[in-house]
Amino acid sequence: MTGIRSYTLEIITLLAVLAFIVLFLAVSSGGTRNFSGSDDAGTRKIAELTGRPVESYQPLIPQYVPPSSEIESTLFALQASFGGLVLGLVFGYWLGQRKQAPAP
Amino acid sequence: MHIMEGFLPAGWCLLWWLVALPFVIRGILDLRAMIRKDREYLPLLGVCGAFIFILSALKLPSVTGSCSHPTGTGLSTMCFGVFITSVVGGVVLLFQALLLAHGGLSTLGANMVSMAIGGPVAGYAVYRLLKNTPLNIYLTVFLVTTVADLVTYIITSFELALAYPAGNGGVITSFVAFFIIFAVTQIPLAIVEGCVLALVFKYIIRMKPEIIEKIGVFSSEQIEKARLAEESGSSAGVRS
Repeated sequence: MTGIRSYTLEIITLLAVLAFIVLFLAVSSGGTRNFSGSDDAGTRKIAELTGRPVESYQPLIPQYVPPSSEIESTLFALQASFGGLVLGLVFGYWLGQRKQAPAP
Repeated sequence: MHIMEGFLPAGWCLLWWLVALPFVIRGILDLRAMIRKDREYLPLLGVCGAFIFILSALKLPSVTGSCSHPTGTGLSTMCFGVFITSVVGGVVLLFQALLLAHGGLSTLGANMVSMAIGGPVAGYAVYRLLKNTPLNIYLTVFLVTTVADLVTYIITSFELALAYPAGNGGVITSFVAFFIIFAVTQIPLAIVEGCVLALVFKYIIRMKPEIIEKIGVFSSEQIEKARLAEESGSSAGVRS
Protein backbone atom coordinates (compact mmCIF):
# COMPACT_ATOMS: atom_id res chain seq x y z
CA MET A 1 0.00 0.00 0.00
CA THR A 2 1.60 3.21 -1.12
CA GLY A 3 -1.09 5.86 -0.68
CA ILE A 4 -1.35 8.09 2.36
CA ARG A 5 -3.14 6.10 5.02
CA SER A 6 -5.96 7.60 6.96
CA TYR A 7 -5.64 7.27 10.69
CA THR A 8 -9.12 8.61 11.40
CA LEU A 9 -10.18 5.46 13.19
CA GLU A 10 -7.00 5.35 15.28
CA ILE A 11 -7.48 8.98 16.29
CA ILE A 12 -11.15 8.47 17.20
CA THR A 13 -10.24 5.44 19.31
CA LEU A 14 -7.42 7.29 21.02
CA LEU A 15 -9.75 10.22 21.80
CA ALA A 16 -12.40 7.85 23.17
CA VAL A 17 -9.83 6.16 25.44
CA LEU A 18 -8.50 9.56 26.57
CA ALA A 19 -12.02 10.82 27.30
CA PHE A 20 -12.59 7.63 29.25
CA ILE A 21 -9.46 8.20 31.34
CA VAL A 22 -10.31 11.87 31.97
CA LEU A 23 -13.82 10.84 33.01
CA PHE A 24 -12.35 8.29 35.42
CA LEU A 25 -9.96 10.85 36.91
CA ALA A 26 -12.79 13.34 37.33
CA VAL A 27 -15.08 10.82 39.01
CA SER A 28 -12.37 9.34 41.22
CA SER A 29 -10.91 12.68 42.34
CA GLY A 30 -13.62 13.10 44.99
CA GLY A 31 -12.34 10.00 46.74
CA THR A 32 -15.85 9.01 47.70
CA ARG A 33 -16.25 6.21 45.15
CA ASN A 34 -14.73 2.84 45.86
CA PHE A 35 -14.97 1.44 42.31
CA SER A 36 -16.19 -1.95 43.41
CA GLY A 37 -17.73 -4.20 40.79
CA SER A 38 -21.19 -3.43 39.45
CA ASP A 39 -21.93 -7.10 40.12
CA ASP A 40 -21.51 -6.38 43.82
CA ALA A 41 -23.63 -3.24 43.54
CA GLY A 42 -26.34 -5.40 41.92
CA THR A 43 -26.02 -7.92 44.73
CA ARG A 44 -26.47 -5.19 47.33
CA LYS A 45 -29.53 -3.96 45.44
CA ILE A 46 -31.04 -7.45 45.59
CA ALA A 47 -30.47 -7.49 49.35
CA GLU A 48 -32.10 -4.07 49.61
CA LEU A 49 -35.13 -5.10 47.55
CA THR A 50 -35.73 -8.34 49.44
CA GLY A 51 -34.75 -7.02 52.86
CA ARG A 52 -32.46 -10.02 53.32
CA PRO A 53 -28.78 -9.41 54.11
CA VAL A 54 -26.25 -10.27 51.37
CA GLU A 55 -24.69 -12.96 53.60
CA SER A 56 -27.97 -14.88 53.78
CA TYR A 57 -27.73 -15.85 50.11
CA GLN A 58 -26.08 -19.22 49.88
CA PRO A 59 -24.87 -20.81 46.62
CA LEU A 60 -27.39 -23.22 45.10
CA ILE A 61 -24.50 -25.17 43.62
CA PRO A 62 -21.28 -25.21 45.68
CA GLN A 63 -18.48 -23.33 43.96
CA TYR A 64 -14.80 -22.53 44.26
CA VAL A 65 -14.13 -19.01 45.50
CA PRO A 66 -10.63 -17.55 45.04
CA PRO A 67 -9.29 -17.10 48.57
CA SER A 68 -7.95 -13.59 47.91
CA SER A 69 -8.23 -10.78 45.38
CA GLU A 70 -4.60 -11.51 44.39
CA ILE A 71 -5.50 -15.00 43.26
CA GLU A 72 -8.60 -13.68 41.56
CA SER A 73 -6.57 -11.11 39.63
CA THR A 74 -4.10 -13.82 38.57
CA LEU A 75 -6.91 -15.88 37.12
CA PHE A 76 -8.33 -12.85 35.31
CA ALA A 77 -4.87 -12.06 33.95
CA LEU A 78 -4.60 -15.66 32.80
CA GLN A 79 -7.90 -15.33 30.96
CA ALA A 80 -6.81 -12.12 29.23
CA SER A 81 -3.34 -13.46 28.39
CA PHE A 82 -4.86 -16.55 26.81
CA GLY A 83 -6.89 -14.25 24.56
CA GLY A 84 -3.81 -12.16 23.81
CA LEU A 85 -1.82 -15.27 22.93
CA VAL A 86 -4.39 -16.49 20.40
CA LEU A 87 -4.72 -12.98 18.96
CA GLY A 88 -0.98 -12.57 18.47
CA LEU A 89 -0.71 -16.04 16.99
CA VAL A 90 -3.40 -15.43 14.36
CA PHE A 91 -2.30 -11.91 13.44
CA GLY A 92 1.29 -13.16 13.13
CA TYR A 93 0.11 -16.05 10.97
CA TRP A 94 -1.81 -13.71 8.67
CA LEU A 95 1.09 -11.26 8.42
CA GLY A 96 3.40 -14.15 7.56
CA GLN A 97 1.02 -15.27 4.83
CA ARG A 98 0.96 -11.78 3.37
CA LYS A 99 4.74 -11.62 3.30
CA GLN A 100 4.87 -14.90 1.39
CA ALA A 101 2.28 -13.86 -1.16
CA PRO A 102 1.80 -10.08 -1.29
CA ALA A 103 -1.75 -8.94 -1.94
CA PRO A 104 -2.40 -8.08 -5.61
CA MET B 1 -23.30 -8.42 34.40
CA HIS B 2 -22.72 -11.64 36.28
CA ILE B 3 -25.55 -12.69 38.49
CA MET B 4 -23.75 -14.22 41.44
CA GLU B 5 -24.26 -17.82 42.48
CA GLY B 6 -27.18 -18.10 44.87
CA PHE B 7 -28.65 -14.73 43.97
CA LEU B 8 -31.24 -16.07 41.56
CA PRO B 9 -34.12 -18.27 42.77
CA ALA B 10 -33.94 -21.85 41.47
CA GLY B 11 -37.03 -21.45 39.24
CA TRP B 12 -35.50 -18.53 37.36
CA CYS B 13 -32.16 -20.36 37.07
CA LEU B 14 -33.93 -23.26 35.42
CA LEU B 15 -35.94 -21.04 33.08
CA TRP B 16 -32.85 -19.16 31.81
CA TRP B 17 -30.95 -22.42 31.42
CA LEU B 18 -33.81 -23.73 29.28
CA VAL B 19 -33.72 -20.56 27.17
CA ALA B 20 -29.93 -20.76 26.75
CA LEU B 21 -29.54 -24.45 25.95
CA PRO B 22 -31.05 -24.51 22.43
CA PHE B 23 -28.71 -21.67 21.38
CA VAL B 24 -25.65 -23.40 22.78
CA ILE B 25 -26.58 -26.79 21.28
CA ARG B 26 -27.22 -25.26 17.87
CA GLY B 27 -23.94 -23.35 18.25
CA ILE B 28 -21.97 -26.52 18.97
CA LEU B 29 -23.52 -28.21 15.93
CA ASP B 30 -22.75 -25.17 13.73
CA LEU B 31 -19.20 -25.09 15.03
CA ARG B 32 -18.66 -28.79 14.29
CA ALA B 33 -20.10 -28.41 10.80
CA MET B 34 -17.90 -25.40 10.12
CA ILE B 35 -14.72 -27.13 11.31
CA ARG B 36 -15.49 -30.22 9.20
CA LYS B 37 -16.26 -28.18 6.09
CA ASP B 38 -13.60 -25.54 6.04
CA ARG B 39 -10.82 -24.93 8.53
CA GLU B 40 -10.00 -21.64 6.84
CA TYR B 41 -12.26 -19.74 9.22
CA LEU B 42 -10.63 -21.05 12.40
CA PRO B 43 -8.05 -18.23 12.69
CA LEU B 44 -10.85 -15.65 12.38
CA LEU B 45 -12.82 -17.51 15.06
CA GLY B 46 -9.67 -17.38 17.17
CA VAL B 47 -9.46 -13.60 16.83
CA CYS B 48 -13.17 -13.10 17.61
CA GLY B 49 -13.00 -15.47 20.58
CA ALA B 50 -9.77 -13.91 21.81
CA PHE B 51 -11.49 -10.55 22.13
CA ILE B 52 -14.28 -12.03 24.21
CA PHE B 53 -11.63 -13.54 26.50
CA ILE B 54 -9.58 -10.35 26.75
CA LEU B 55 -12.36 -7.77 27.06
CA SER B 56 -14.49 -9.72 29.53
CA ALA B 57 -11.45 -10.02 31.82
CA LEU B 58 -10.96 -6.24 31.97
CA LYS B 59 -12.93 -4.64 34.72
CA LEU B 60 -12.97 -0.96 33.96
CA PRO B 61 -14.05 1.96 36.12
CA SER B 62 -17.03 4.01 35.06
CA VAL B 63 -18.85 7.24 35.77
CA THR B 64 -21.13 5.68 38.37
CA GLY B 65 -18.15 4.92 40.61
CA SER B 66 -18.24 1.20 40.09
CA CYS B 67 -16.41 -1.13 37.73
CA SER B 68 -17.70 -3.31 34.97
CA HIS B 69 -16.34 -5.21 32.02
CA PRO B 70 -16.96 -4.98 28.27
CA THR B 71 -18.23 -8.14 26.54
CA GLY B 72 -16.44 -8.23 23.17
CA THR B 73 -19.14 -10.34 21.56
CA GLY B 74 -19.95 -8.02 18.64
CA LEU B 75 -17.11 -9.08 16.36
CA SER B 76 -17.91 -12.78 16.67
CA THR B 77 -21.61 -12.08 16.15
CA MET B 78 -20.95 -10.35 12.83
CA CYS B 79 -18.54 -12.99 11.56
CA PHE B 80 -20.11 -16.18 12.89
CA GLY B 81 -23.64 -15.33 13.98
CA VAL B 82 -25.44 -15.68 17.28
CA PHE B 83 -25.22 -19.45 17.80
CA ILE B 84 -21.45 -19.89 17.55
CA THR B 85 -20.98 -16.72 19.60
CA SER B 86 -23.16 -18.21 22.33
CA VAL B 87 -20.75 -21.15 22.59
CA VAL B 88 -17.63 -18.95 22.78
CA GLY B 89 -19.27 -16.60 25.29
CA GLY B 90 -20.51 -19.62 27.24
CA VAL B 91 -16.95 -20.97 27.55
CA VAL B 92 -15.75 -17.66 29.02
CA LEU B 93 -18.67 -17.53 31.45
CA LEU B 94 -18.07 -21.16 32.46
CA PHE B 95 -14.41 -20.38 33.19
CA GLN B 96 -15.44 -17.39 35.32
CA ALA B 97 -18.10 -19.42 37.15
CA LEU B 98 -15.79 -22.34 37.91
CA LEU B 99 -12.57 -20.54 38.83
CA LEU B 100 -13.41 -16.94 39.67
CA ALA B 101 -16.75 -17.15 41.49
CA HIS B 102 -18.03 -14.54 39.03
CA GLY B 103 -21.43 -15.96 38.36
CA GLY B 104 -22.07 -19.60 39.17
CA LEU B 105 -23.31 -22.80 37.61
CA SER B 106 -26.91 -22.18 38.68
CA THR B 107 -26.89 -18.65 37.26
CA LEU B 108 -24.84 -19.61 34.18
CA GLY B 109 -28.01 -19.95 32.12
CA ALA B 110 -29.12 -16.41 32.97
CA ASN B 111 -25.61 -15.03 32.38
CA MET B 112 -25.39 -16.79 29.03
CA VAL B 113 -28.78 -15.39 28.02
CA SER B 114 -27.53 -11.85 28.72
CA MET B 115 -23.90 -11.90 27.52
CA ALA B 116 -23.59 -14.82 25.12
CA ILE B 117 -27.05 -14.73 23.53
CA GLY B 118 -29.11 -11.58 24.17
CA GLY B 119 -26.34 -9.06 23.46
CA PRO B 120 -25.32 -10.92 20.28
CA VAL B 121 -28.97 -11.16 19.11
CA ALA B 122 -29.34 -7.38 19.43
CA GLY B 123 -25.96 -6.83 17.76
CA TYR B 124 -26.95 -9.15 14.94
CA ALA B 125 -30.19 -7.24 14.43
CA VAL B 126 -28.23 -4.00 14.09
CA TYR B 127 -25.82 -5.70 11.68
CA ARG B 128 -28.61 -7.01 9.45
CA LEU B 129 -30.25 -3.60 9.48
CA LEU B 130 -27.08 -1.77 8.43
CA LYS B 131 -25.36 -4.43 6.33
CA ASN B 132 -26.73 -3.33 2.97
CA THR B 133 -26.70 0.40 3.60
CA PRO B 134 -23.97 2.72 2.31
CA LEU B 135 -22.87 3.37 5.90
CA ASN B 136 -19.13 3.07 6.42
CA ILE B 137 -18.45 -0.52 7.51
CA TYR B 138 -16.36 0.53 10.51
CA LEU B 139 -19.28 2.58 11.78
CA THR B 140 -21.44 -0.53 11.40
CA VAL B 141 -18.91 -2.54 13.45
CA PHE B 142 -18.90 0.20 16.10
CA LEU B 143 -22.69 0.22 16.37
CA VAL B 144 -22.99 -3.59 16.41
CA THR B 145 -20.43 -4.03 19.20
CA THR B 146 -21.69 -1.11 21.27
CA VAL B 147 -25.27 -2.35 21.08
CA ALA B 148 -24.26 -5.96 21.88
CA ASP B 149 -22.38 -4.72 24.94
CA LEU B 150 -25.13 -2.42 26.23
CA VAL B 151 -28.00 -4.81 25.61
CA THR B 152 -26.16 -7.49 27.62
CA TYR B 153 -26.43 -5.30 30.69
CA ILE B 154 -30.02 -4.28 29.95
CA ILE B 155 -30.95 -7.98 29.87
CA THR B 156 -29.16 -8.62 33.17
CA SER B 157 -31.19 -5.78 34.68
CA PHE B 158 -34.34 -7.31 33.24
CA GLU B 159 -33.53 -10.78 34.59
CA LEU B 160 -32.95 -9.42 38.07
CA ALA B 161 -36.05 -7.21 37.93
CA LEU B 162 -38.22 -10.20 37.01
CA ALA B 163 -36.81 -12.23 39.90
CA TYR B 164 -36.91 -9.36 42.38
CA PRO B 165 -39.83 -7.02 41.66
CA ALA B 166 -39.88 -4.09 44.06
CA GLY B 167 -42.56 -4.23 46.75
CA ASN B 168 -43.64 -0.78 45.67
CA GLY B 169 -43.79 -0.39 41.89
CA GLY B 170 -43.02 -3.98 40.90
CA VAL B 171 -40.84 -5.11 38.03
CA ILE B 172 -40.51 -1.68 36.42
CA THR B 173 -39.20 0.09 39.54
CA SER B 174 -36.82 -2.79 40.07
CA PHE B 175 -35.70 -2.70 36.44
CA VAL B 176 -34.91 1.00 36.66
CA ALA B 177 -32.83 0.41 39.80
CA PHE B 178 -30.81 -2.40 38.21
CA PHE B 179 -30.61 -0.50 34.91
CA ILE B 180 -28.91 2.40 36.70
CA ILE B 181 -26.43 0.04 38.35
CA PHE B 182 -25.58 -2.03 35.28
CA ALA B 183 -26.50 -0.28 32.06
CA VAL B 184 -25.59 3.31 32.94
CA THR B 185 -22.19 2.13 34.20
CA GLN B 186 -21.79 0.35 30.89
CA ILE B 187 -22.42 3.27 28.49
CA PRO B 188 -18.85 4.68 28.39
CA LEU B 189 -17.38 1.18 28.35
CA ALA B 190 -19.58 0.16 25.44
CA ILE B 191 -18.50 3.21 23.43
CA VAL B 192 -14.80 2.52 24.00
CA GLU B 193 -15.33 -1.14 23.15
CA GLY B 194 -17.08 -0.16 19.91
CA CYS B 195 -14.13 2.04 18.90
CA VAL B 196 -11.54 -0.60 19.74
CA LEU B 197 -13.32 -3.40 17.89
CA ALA B 198 -13.92 -1.17 14.85
CA LEU B 199 -10.17 -0.54 14.82
CA VAL B 200 -9.46 -4.26 15.14
CA PHE B 201 -11.81 -4.89 12.25
CA LYS B 202 -9.83 -2.41 10.18
CA TYR B 203 -6.65 -4.40 10.84
CA ILE B 204 -8.37 -7.68 10.00
CA ILE B 205 -9.46 -6.16 6.70
CA ARG B 206 -5.99 -4.82 6.03
CA MET B 207 -4.44 -8.24 6.58
CA LYS B 208 -7.12 -10.63 5.41
CA PRO B 209 -9.87 -8.88 3.39
CA GLU B 210 -10.66 -12.07 1.47
CA ILE B 211 -11.77 -13.95 4.58
CA ILE B 212 -14.25 -11.23 5.59
CA GLU B 213 -15.57 -11.26 2.05
CA LYS B 214 -15.75 -15.06 1.84
CA ILE B 215 -17.55 -15.50 5.12
CA GLY B 216 -19.99 -12.85 3.89
CA VAL B 217 -19.77 -10.20 6.60
CA PHE B 218 -19.53 -7.45 4.00
CA SER B 219 -19.48 -7.46 0.21
CA SER B 220 -16.26 -7.01 -1.73
CA GLU B 221 -17.48 -3.58 -2.87
CA GLN B 222 -17.97 -2.42 0.72
CA ILE B 223 -14.53 -3.72 1.72
CA GLU B 224 -12.91 -2.13 -1.31
CA LYS B 225 -14.62 1.17 -0.57
CA ALA B 226 -13.38 1.13 3.03
CA ARG B 227 -9.84 0.29 1.88
CA LEU B 228 -9.88 3.07 -0.69
CA ALA B 229 -11.16 5.52 1.90
CA GLU B 230 -8.35 4.47 4.16
CA GLU B 231 -5.65 4.79 1.52
CA SER B 232 -6.76 8.10 0.07
CA GLY B 233 -6.98 9.59 3.53
CA SER B 234 -10.62 10.55 3.32
CA SER B 235 -12.97 10.61 6.29
CA ALA B 236 -14.10 7.45 8.04
CA GLY B 237 -17.50 8.98 8.68
CA VAL B 238 -20.82 8.40 6.96
CA ARG B 239 -20.61 8.48 3.18
CA SER B 240 -23.58 8.91 0.96
